[in-house]
Amino acid sequence: MLRLLLLAALVLAAVGWLLSAPALIASEELPARQADSAAGERIFWAGGCGSCHASPVDGERAQGDDRLLLGGGQEFHTPYGVFRAPNISSDPTDGIGGWTDIEFVNAMQRGVSPDGEHYYPVFPFASYARMPVSDVLDLKAFLDTLPAVAGRAGDHELTFPWSVRRGIGLWKRRYLSSDPVVAVGSDDPALERGRLLVEGAGHCGECHTPRDKLGGLQKQYWLAGAPDLEGKGRIPNITPASDTLSDWSIDDLAYYFESGFTPDFDTAGGTMVAVQENLAQLEPADREAIAAYLKAIPAQTAPDR
Amino acid sequence: MKKFLRFTLNLGASLGASLCVAAVAVAEHSPQHQRHELMEAVGDAAKPLGGMLRGKMSFDADVVMKSLMTWQVSAEAFGDLFPEGSESGEGTEAAPEIWTDRAGFDAALAKFLEDTNTAIAAKPQTLEAAQPLIGAAFKNCKGCHDKYRIEDE
Repeated sequence: MLRLLLLAALVLAAVGWLLSAPALIASEELPARQADSAAGERIFWAGGCGSCHASPVDGERAQGDDRLLLGGGQEFHTPYGVFRAPNISSDPTDGIGGWTDIEFVNAMQRGVSPDGEHYYPVFPFASYARMPVSDVLDLKAFLDTLPAVAGRAGDHELTFPWSVRRGIGLWKRRYLSSDPVVAVGSDDPALERGRLLVEGAGHCGECHTPRDKLGGLQKQYWLAGAPDLEGKGRIPNITPASDTLSDWSIDDLAYYFESGFTPDFDTAGGTMVAVQENLAQLEPADREAIAAYLKAIPAQTAPDR
Repeated sequence: MKKFLRFTLNLGASLGASLCVAAVAVAEHSPQHQRHELMEAVGDAAKPLGGMLRGKMSFDADVVMKSLMTWQVSAEAFGDLFPEGSESGEGTEAAPEIWTDRAGFDAALAKFLEDTNTAIAAKPQTLEAAQPLIGAAFKNCKGCHDKYRIEDE
């Protein structure tokens, strides 16, 4: 009997190991084209890479051109433990300057490091999985033009069971998908542009959508607001059902992204300040596309907890 | 016994009610309340300015001056409305940095006043003339809020 139990446990462990193995994109799947670093800059600001990866300056968030110095080191105190943003500058040893295209694409869209380890979903690869792969390659071309920054951030300090990195393989089976969350853009190019920015590079859902017990997004409450994982109140609902946004026009939203001013001429607050400053760097058409998408998605209200 | 209990409860309730009334009376004159009201006035004055900048309202030089003067008076008054002891309470969104970095906060207020005064002195008569002046004054809202305001929860 004991032997049978042991055998069952072994089989389960083996199956778990196999199911949690990293799944990769093959280099043959990459498009054969010259990457465009100027187009990559647009993705950089849409994604706000610097908001997590720019090295803090005197303990404060980086502003202006310091947002381009991606040495990492910023800490995020969450219910899962402390995450530390790594160096993604072009430094060949401390940063990602030595990475190949396919290594970068697998990191961004499959959450797998060049060493074949899973990344934690705090790095929003589950959103980036919805990006066109050409955008990912353009982004890499832009990151390659940014300065090398020496130095490495410390390791994450997570609580059990989150500390078991291999378990993320199972998490990915459940939550990682490149499918649209809300397929609004199928016959409207502007909406599709907005969808790709919001659901993909912009990774808006990572903060504005509530998570379940395993830390996966509850897509039935897409963008309907969520508790702030860093413990500072709530991240607002940004669907048409939002208390604050329901009266805002597409133009109001686009103006907010550009200027940081609400229609009442209040200013953005909290972590949205940095996000808005990134969005201000985009073309007006991109900001309008994001706004149009937010007006087109289903009105949702998320439960309080 | 039952009667006594009811009496005590009634007494408790009325005492509680009068304490609440007293608290509200104090709150109306508290710095937290006053600066909140003043900030609302600044926001109300900002609306027509923003509407003109966005092309949602037609330009009106008198309205511009009126709004700018509201900002001027407010920028001058704000400095006295953050005394020691008013760091918290009444849902204030004032950040602790106002008291830990008083010099920085005072400098931010002075900059707001300076940019507002510059715009007033120029007496802009066209939207083109007003745009850069109002824009410069507007920048102070965000700069100050980012540093010296906490998010309400």
